[in-house]
Amino acid sequence: MTNIAVLTAYVIVLSLYVNLGIALYGIFARPSLVKKLIAITILSDTANAFAVLVGYRWPRNALPKPPVIPELPVTRRVLEEYTSSAVDPLPQALVLTAIVIGLAITLFIAFIIIQYYRLYGTVDVRKVRRI
Amino acid sequence: MVAKTDVFVAISIAIFVLSLAYITSLGGLGPLPPVDVRDIAYQYLNLTYNPWRRFLTSFALESVTAIIWDFRGLDTLYETAVFYGAIIASIALYRGVKITHSRGGTGLSPIAKTVTRLSFVLIPTVAASVALHGHLTPGGGFQAGSIATVVIVLAIIVFSRYFLPGHGLSKERALLLRSIGLLGVGLTSIGLLLISFLLGVNAYIFQNQAKLDAPLSYPSLVDDYTLGGSLLFFNLSEFIAVAFGFMIVFLLLSVSEEDVREVVTRD
Repeated sequence: MTNIAVLTAYVIVLSLYVNLGIALYGIFARPSLVKKLIAITILSDTANAFAVLVGYRWPRNALPKPPVIPELPVTRRVLEEYTSSAVDPLPQALVLTAIVIGLAITLFIAFIIIQYYRLYGTVDVRKVRRI
Repeated sequence: MVAKTDVFVAISIAIFVLSLAYITSLGGLGPLPPVDVRDIAYQYLNLTYNPWRRFLTSFALESVTAIIWDFRGLDTLYETAVFYGAIIASIALYRGVKITHSRGGTGLSPIAKTVTRLSFVLIPTVAASVALHGHLTPGGGFQAGSIATVVIVLAIIVFSRYFLPGHGLSKERALLLRSIGLLGVGLTSIGLLLISFLLGVNAYIFQNQAKLDAPLSYPSLVDDYTLGGSLLFFNLSEFIAVAFGFMIVFLLLSVSEEDVREVVTRD
């Protein structure tokens, strides 16, 4: 593993923390429901990227590989190389599930916000509170 | 002028982010990037395509798809149900709203329309390829459905919101096709179980390959082509379900504002 790999990993983690901060600021401080929704999507994407990072690895004597077996027929050597260098597929599978559910919820919230705007003519929570 | 609460929130979040960064710099997340994977990941990687452990393997080349539709298939079934529920809830919000067939929408220029017509063939081809190879290469039913949705969005933007309903792809028909996709997911998950009732042998829900006490398997290899057992059928069904689910959403989002307000104000 090179120093560049370590540095890159730290830069990615730091940028994810910054993303987390931006998302939390959008959710707590912005009055527009649309901006809150955008912030929620940033938050969920950040959480998903974290999950994928947890499953990443940089093996000691090989380069990291995607969780796809590269050749057929699958011999014992191919399988051993694969298991020793592929990244963890479980977080990727869980993230895919999270993306689908997140998308479904986002769509539903978007529909509710549009409907709210049609009924009350505003998406500002300060005004919504007084209705 | 910036409100005091905004400043308080911004400072609190900045302290939170800096604290996380400090903990990470002390090694709170372990070695970065990680050197090894957990034992369960090793097991998943080892069992994705393992002819020497044929009662546990899924006979797919792509571990993520194997986890999604085989090792943790029940999770994905619930996930599909959540997605379906959210779309049903969105449709409920638009109950009573009719998508009228034409209000004189003409769409974009003939050049844009001609190029888009080409993409009507090309994009679904890519989507079908991603769905059919989901168990071999990165991809799968959800990704393929998302790709196919691009065609629907293009049709609405380039031709007009009345184009798809005018060509027989109404919201109701999309809902029917989506339900067929979901039915495919359901039937594939209990396919071997149904056959086992006829043959009088043991089988499980979401069974892909034969187990020690359940001898039935979905075909994993046909004429040198790796099928991944049930994964291919799951991917195809999910492809249909997701593509037409998104179609319903975009048809609803593009409904004429006058049509919606008419119903909303009436309620």
